Amino acid sequence: MSSIAAFLGQRLGWAVMTLLILSVMVFFGAQVLPGNIGRAILGPLADVAAVTALNHELGVDRPLWVQYWDWISHFVRGDMGRSFIYHTPVFPFVAASLTKSLALALVVCVLVIPLSLAGGVYAALKAHRAADRIITLTGLAMTVVPEFVSGIILILVFGVWLRWLPISAKWADDAGLLGRLDHLILPALPLVLILFGYIAKMARAGTLAALESDYTRTAVLKGLPQATVIGRHVLRNALLPTISVIGTQVGYLIGGLIVVETLFNYRGIGALIFSAAKAKDFPMLQAGVLTVGLCYTVAAIFADLLFYLLNPRLRSGGAR
Amino acid sequence: MSRDYGLLDRFRRQASEPERSLIDGVLRGTISRRELFRHGSVLGLSLPLISRIGAAAGLASAASLRTARAAPGGVIRVGMSMPSTAIDPVIVPDSNGLAMLNQTGEFLAIDGPDLVLRPALATSWSPNKDGSVWTFKIRTGVKFHNGAALTAKDVAASINRLADPANKSNALSAFTGVLSPGGAKAIDDQTVEFHLDAPNGNFPYIVSSDNYNAIILPADYSGDWEKTFIGTGPFRLEKYTPKVGASFVRNPDYWGEKAIPDRTEFVFYADIQPQILALQGGDVDIIKQAPVLSSLAVLNDPKFNVISVPSVAHQQLHMRCDQAPFQDKRVRQALALTIDRQKLVQGLLRGRAKIGNDSPFAAIFPSSDPSVPQRKQDLAQARQLLEAAGVGKGFKVTLTTENWLEIPQYAQLVQSAAKQVGIEIALKIEEQDAYYGDAVYGKSDWLDSAMGITDYGHRGVPNVFLAAPLLSDGTWNGAHFKNPQYDGLVKSYVGALDLESQRAAAGKIQRLLLDETPIVFAYFYDYLAVTAKNVTGVEVSAMAQIYLDKAKKV
Repeated sequence: MSSIAAFLGQRLGWAVMTLLILSVMVFFGAQVLPGNIGRAILGPLADVAAVTALNHELGVDRPLWVQYWDWISHFVRGDMGRSFIYHTPVFPFVAASLTKSLALALVVCVLVIPLSLAGGVYAALKAHRAADRIITLTGLAMTVVPEFVSGIILILVFGVWLRWLPISAKWADDAGLLGRLDHLILPALPLVLILFGYIAKMARAGTLAALESDYTRTAVLKGLPQATVIGRHVLRNALLPTISVIGTQVGYLIGGLIVVETLFNYRGIGALIFSAAKAKDFPMLQAGVLTVGLCYTVAAIFADLLFYLLNPRLRSGGAR
Repeated sequence: MSRDYGLLDRFRRQASEPERSLIDGVLRGTISRRELFRHGSVLGLSLPLISRIGAAAGLASAASLRTARAAPGGVIRVGMSMPSTAIDPVIVPDSNGLAMLNQTGEFLAIDGPDLVLRPALATSWSPNKDGSVWTFKIRTGVKFHNGAALTAKDVAASINRLADPANKSNALSAFTGVLSPGGAKAIDDQTVEFHLDAPNGNFPYIVSSDNYNAIILPADYSGDWEKTFIGTGPFRLEKYTPKVGASFVRNPDYWGEKAIPDRTEFVFYADIQPQILALQGGDVDIIKQAPVLSSLAVLNDPKFNVISVPSVAHQQLHMRCDQAPFQDKRVRQALALTIDRQKLVQGLLRGRAKIGNDSPFAAIFPSSDPSVPQRKQDLAQARQLLEAAGVGKGFKVTLTTENWLEIPQYAQLVQSAAKQVGIEIALKIEEQDAYYGDAVYGKSDWLDSAMGITDYGHRGVPNVFLAAPLLSDGTWNGAHFKNPQYDGLVKSYVGALDLESQRAAAGKIQRLLLDETPIVFAYFYDYLAVTAKNVTGVEVSAMAQIYLDKAKKV
């Protein structure tokens, strides 16, 4: 068990370093955006005196390193700061949008992981036959269709013509779970389409490699039933790389969905970061980016851990 | 056309000097019915009285605006772009945030789609002899949503707050040189006097819905409007979530006709495309503002109603008058002559705009002088002018502008128009932040570039367009136009109380600007909103406000 603690400790150390570097990058990167913060908030036609007064009030006329220290020292104590634009704490915004992003990511995962794993493994088992070709080619084709194209097509078909599903996230936030699910399906579909091909391809390649390996041949030759061979020997090895891939996609699913969130008017954290960047609401922008960074790191650690637990080469003991 | 001179004489005897001049103008035929309504309302004549003057003068009356009252009920859902800041009436700077203000708040007067002022929280208003003091009578029996009665004190405090530089007021530019803090004085509970810095014939517009920040708040308002949306209007706040949306419910204690919808919902969107899809899919009933180029899918679809309001919103193409190549006015005139305005309106704006004549005096302003000849495309004359200015072989120049609405496409059309006479324009299209920069001279591409295109929103009167971008000491004078004669003419226009002297000053300004051409005003584009076919009674203003109290789904 000490090896897993060492493994985790090392991963956590790297994660803290990564987040620290990310905080420096997002803070100083934001300063490069053109224009003046007070001006951006008050609008291009506001009086110069009003802009100067606002900049002073927000403290953005102080030296950069003072501002950075002020921000990060509060941040690590759990105080994300106050929005320049809304004059209220940033935390509720980040929390609300993160919740929404996680809900969407969860729906996507629940749909895409079983589908694409099954598809990939099935394709590998039927390698080079018609079923394999169909799964591989459609998966590939859907992966290269950008989500703003597939999203609009899906909206037109299911929202405008058939009117089966609502198009945009509903204003009434207190809708029940079913009501929410209803609103999540359409935004989730373009992402499922994009990720399916990618994950299925990884799963197919891993399964093929495992099927052709010596240990599989041995397992077959020693007379194990096919289900046992697939379940215990093939899948376990085949899915290792796929898990890493899914782990990295979680980061994208949480923070990188600006297009989908805009199109479906889904107030996730990607849209939050994007609008904060446009409006120069730096506390919001920084808190959003760091939160996504945190989720990404957690997902990566989780994937690593899973990888570790499934990989007999990284831990003691193995499949019996 | 029969005239009742006895009645008119009685009006004239009781009338003030500007009012008499208005009646005389109507009788001479130099003032039309529409202009009588509009200008009479500025002077504070009540609409019924104006109607009677019009009838006595033999002007045909228009059909009554009042429609049959629908049964109350229903929920109206609006899609709109996201407000850019917190919703605080004092600082809201954008066309999305301002539409939140008038859901629960009200103005002293409302500037209607016809640019006629209608009384709202003020029942009447009138100027003193030279237009330097305006007296407003405040409606009785009006209550704020917290139950407190509206008094003149609230009105004076609301306007003084906006005029005070200490409050980061977005309306400061509108009040600078017009009204200083403290200039609004409550005389008694129902009377407010505005003591102006200088005579101003169009002052009522500055405290009307035309100045979208000027909703009347309680005197003790302290900057937390998002919590309550407190106002006096026909709706009050149900729920507001920043970045998500807002909902409102009928105010049962409203002083006027109660709102028809039980509720209204506003959903904020990050972009126009999702709004169009949401309207098509029935998720919303209305898109508050539909820019023409990105809304073609619904503008031409018979399943939807387009509400089109004439507006004076425009894109100013300025040329720097203080440096080569545009310091010679013949070069500026030549460039203006290369543009085919009719084609521009048809092609770029799909016909949803009116052509401009290189001055802020759009035809829709009653004070505009219609006798000034319209500038038309004339390439031969443009070439002659360039020849005379010594640049017959053409020249190169950079046009700097912002990526906003149809401006990039407009810039390309200007580029190809100018090319016909040998002017090679290089385009530099920036994001808005970069273009406006710090918005002071020396630190702003907008104010420093040799040539630029800048967006200007709608105003009910041309005063702001005449001042900041064109006066010698104007703060937005990207053209660096300095002309003492112009400055004097603007002063006399702004101070003029009666329509005929306003129009006389306007004519001189129009001719001077047409000759000098510091700025090309090629078109003024309409304000467009789109509703589902089954929605009626929605009113939008060119200022981007939306009024839903008479809206009904059938």
